[in-house]
Amino acid sequence: MVLLGTSFFTFIVGHMTGDPVQLIARENATHAQKEALRHDLGLDRPVLEQYVLYVGHALEGDFGTSYRQRVSVGRLIVLRLPNTLELAGISFALAMLLSFPLGTLAALRRNGPIDIIVTGISMIGQVVPGFWLGLVLVILFAVKWQLLPVSGSGTLAHLILPAVTLTLPTFGRMTRLVRTGMIEVLGADYIRTARAKGLHERTVLGIHAVRNALIPLITQAGLELGDMVGGAFIIETVFAWPGLGRMAITAVEQRDFLVVQACVLVTATGFVLINLIVDMLYAWIDPRVRHG
Amino acid sequence: MIGRNIVLAALGAVGLMLPAVARAADKPVVIASVGDVSSLDPHLLDSNHPTGSVIWSLFDSLVRRGPDGADLPRLATSWEQVDANTWRFHLRHDVKFQDGTPFTAADVKFSFERMATAPFDAVQQLVEQTTLKETRIDDDYTVDLVTEKPCTTMLYWLEEAFVAPKAYYSSHDAAFLNSNPMGSGPYRFVEWVPGDHVTLTANPTYFGGAPAIKDVIFQVVPELSSRVNGLATGDIDMAMALSPDSIDQANTGKSRGVHLLGLRKQHFGISQNSSVKALRDPRVRQALNYAIDVPTMIKTIMRNSTSPLASVVNPPNADPALTPYGYRPDLAKQLLAEAGYANGFDLTIDFSPMWGQDKEISETVAAYLNAVGIRAKVHANEWNDFREKLSNASFDGIFYAGWAALINPAVELVIFTCKQEDNASGYCDDKYDGLVDRAKYDPDPKSRAVALGQAQDIAWHDAFWMFLWRDPIFIGLSNRLVYQPRPDDYVEIYLAKLKN
Repeated sequence: MVLLGTSFFTFIVGHMTGDPVQLIARENATHAQKEALRHDLGLDRPVLEQYVLYVGHALEGDFGTSYRQRVSVGRLIVLRLPNTLELAGISFALAMLLSFPLGTLAALRRNGPIDIIVTGISMIGQVVPGFWLGLVLVILFAVKWQLLPVSGSGTLAHLILPAVTLTLPTFGRMTRLVRTGMIEVLGADYIRTARAKGLHERTVLGIHAVRNALIPLITQAGLELGDMVGGAFIIETVFAWPGLGRMAITAVEQRDFLVVQACVLVTATGFVLINLIVDMLYAWIDPRVRHG
Repeated sequence: MIGRNIVLAALGAVGLMLPAVARAADKPVVIASVGDVSSLDPHLLDSNHPTGSVIWSLFDSLVRRGPDGADLPRLATSWEQVDANTWRFHLRHDVKFQDGTPFTAADVKFSFERMATAPFDAVQQLVEQTTLKETRIDDDYTVDLVTEKPCTTMLYWLEEAFVAPKAYYSSHDAAFLNSNPMGSGPYRFVEWVPGDHVTLTANPTYFGGAPAIKDVIFQVVPELSSRVNGLATGDIDMAMALSPDSIDQANTGKSRGVHLLGLRKQHFGISQNSSVKALRDPRVRQALNYAIDVPTMIKTIMRNSTSPLASVVNPPNADPALTPYGYRPDLAKQLLAEAGYANGFDLTIDFSPMWGQDKEISETVAAYLNAVGIRAKVHANEWNDFREKLSNASFDGIFYAGWAALINPAVELVIFTCKQEDNASGYCDDKYDGLVDRAKYDPDPKSRAVALGQAQDIAWHDAFWMFLWRDPIFIGLSNRLVYQPRPDDYVEIYLAKLKN
């Protein structure tokens, strides 16, 4: 239902923004040539008819052909999606793997030097815009020290700079949340009780503290994963990373509607899935959700 | 402990990857462009770069266009006009397509007839512009092109009409051909990853000899700063579409920035469909031209990379009697007063981020116009909206645009003919249209030249543009690459060499 609504909305709004033929036609194209192009691409039909045709084909797994490149949209998605998943997935994993231990550590050593360093870095991550950070990293690591490639894809070395750029803001937000959450939970009565029972500190943290701090963090992590796909749209352009985001941006600029449509559908599906997973995690972690 | 191992493993992996990044003598030449090719079908060629550059490498045309516009042999060795409506071409005997099939006149006929069918006819101009009605095979290596009207621009359009092998292109479907090109050109197709890159490799059996550079990658790098940075690190050998601001940064230990005079003519179009009645007075339009200091703008905004326009037509066809308007604000004020606009008028300047420095140029012009009493304000447009306004001639004041990156007076002049698509100034005059028609179709070269000169004079003095300059082209080249860029943006990479 969500997907159908999204696709309809994108389709109609997309067609309201302008005529792709004006952008596709070559410079001294004649009026007749533009008409021919419009007919050839099926853009001379009423928008609603185009939408119905589109949905009909989409249900059979055919997402149409790019107006601009005359390549099957399905093939474009298959080429691009893995790149975005790779970049966003690794960045997300990196952010989570770093923010949980560091946030917890900062909470345990509140106001100590570790806390100040971790909070400082996460603060920077939160306030610095991604594209700017990306450019600075390129100038330092690629141009000045020539350790990593400027842009493109293909090797692990190509992945490092965009992944770090994408990781940092999420890392910043998550670390601060973990820290705040842990501080709150550590001050709670049941932790004091657990400690008073003489439980090992690791058990106190692992079983009692983390589990209770986890619910709001998972909500945030779900949102962050969505943000990451959004952030990847910009970072992919900065690093010429051949992902879904860069394709979507180019397609929007060129009014390549069917490509835009497919990108939106894939992203929307992604969000629906993330929400589903988050809900399932709630149930797994918090028995109250299960029984309620 | 585990954490440390992961970090070490990651560092190790990076270490292993680095040799792949390191330079090697036979490293492919990487050409970085803003966008991707739109198709690899030679008959869907719709822009000079990168699509045109790739097609020119994979396929051959009958005639090659030199960087200065000269007509040079390619698949055709010679040609003559048999009569006013017939051109005859003699073809090479030693050409083979990359699958081994020999090239003959049948492939030419097949290609030109294919170009006249949908969807190719919506993109190709050969048939439309030359009025080609029949491609006649005289023998395997002689072909006659018969036109409806006498055609003087046949060679020009043939230079963008590429020959595809009949056997291969008639036995595969359109979707396959779109991404699996096969021609007779200096390079063979290796792969196309849409949105990322096209890879080509030298054709060792090319009739003109294998090109000097073996592997070429046309890479999409949308960010200007990434293209410049790639030059500095040696990842990019040719960075297209740099800007006046970034050209100095392209001078690194490994690369150099070059600029050359392009062919596109930058101007402010003056809309005749405007609510501002003043713009319909030729004195006002001339005043607009006298009010702006083009040489100073070239010096400051364009970093001295170009020179003022002196006609709507590019050299060598430009009328030598015409000279730039020059900066004469007093004369501008006087002309405005004569036309009854001593107190000026309100004027909107439209621009869109398309040709580079669009905003700076528009704002500077607004300041110059304000100085002579015209109350000008600038208005930014998204490109698609701007494109539609160009097409519908619906601007309300003046608009910053570029036109016709080519040397073909018949095409360059059509921008002011009635009902011409993209004639956004909306000028319409029967006498001018008649002259352009003669400049295009008159078989007598003398009479054609006269018409060409008169049409230019009208366009210049009636001033439906504020004439600025020829759009300069800024390109970054790695120091290992020996190549002379063309003013029309096509990259003939098969002519490039590597320094030892």
